Amino acid sequence: MIGPRANPVSSVSRVAAKAAVVLCIAAAAGFAIPAGAAKTYTIAMDGTRFVPDTVTIQRGDRVVWVNKDPFPHTATTDGTFDSKSVAPGHSWSYVARKAGEIPYVCTLHPGMKGTLLVQ
Amino acid sequence: MNIAAVAMCSALALWTSGALAQPAGPTDPQIAAIVVTANQVDIDAGKLATAKAHAKEVKAFAEQMITDHTGVNKQATELVTKLKVKPEQNETSKSIKQGGDDNLAQLKKLKGAEFDRAYIDHEVTYHQTVIDALDKTLVPNAKNEELKALLIKVRPAFVAHLEHAKSIQAKLEK
Repeated sequence: MIGPRANPVSSVSRVAAKAAVVLCIAAAAGFAIPAGAAKTYTIAMDGTRFVPDTVTIQRGDRVVWVNKDPFPHTATTDGTFDSKSVAPGHSWSYVARKAGEIPYVCTLHPGMKGTLLVQ
Repeated sequence: MNIAAVAMCSALALWTSGALAQPAGPTDPQIAAIVVTANQVDIDAGKLATAKAHAKEVKAFAEQMITDHTGVNKQATELVTKLKVKPEQNETSKSIKQGGDDNLAQLKKLKGAEFDRAYIDHEVTYHQTVIDALDKTLVPNAKNEELKALLIKVRPAFVAHLEHAKSIQAKLEK
């Protein structure tokens, strides 16, 4: 990409400078990562419960279920996602694409329920 | 309720009522033996059921019992090893073992739908008995905080197993 036109170096620098400004503003506003970027939320499968059992997230955010029990669990919805069996000490993640309230259960342990609220 | 279940219930109830000679409840080494034995008898029943169960749902339940109770026992064993608690057999653990053996002997005589019903009936009684024992005897008497925490942590799984067994029981009765 070597061309006689324009001034590619300085154009790249300008973009980089703008990005740096955005990052600084984001950092100043208290965000650990740039504003608008996807976040990751962790839900423990612990004591045959989802902890926390209700999590509010934005579209594009990632949710990671970590199994802290000595036996398998699942995080399963009616059609949206299904982790299948998550072994002890293992995890499974899902990136929410659609807004809405998504209830899920562990199919192995009736009564172990959680909800994702995707905004 | 079958004979094996009655025997186990009586054994655990004795601790609760204080009818045994022991002045206090079980010690941590005795609790460790009770927990490991109680899990083991359900693993053994599950192994028989995976081979003999007729209904798919009963077989799947049995497989899960093996997995879950093996997991609990692995963690319990790791914990008592770490704590240097040596499981000490006692009247309750021996009685649970005997109840488990009697249950296996009884189940081995049965086949098909009859086996499924007897296995699931026993699972309902067994899990209810263990939950009662956890609440009335094992958790209140556990001295070591980590041992107590483990008992509390696994309790909801026993409740889930009980509910699962009851739902299968209701279907089998139809």
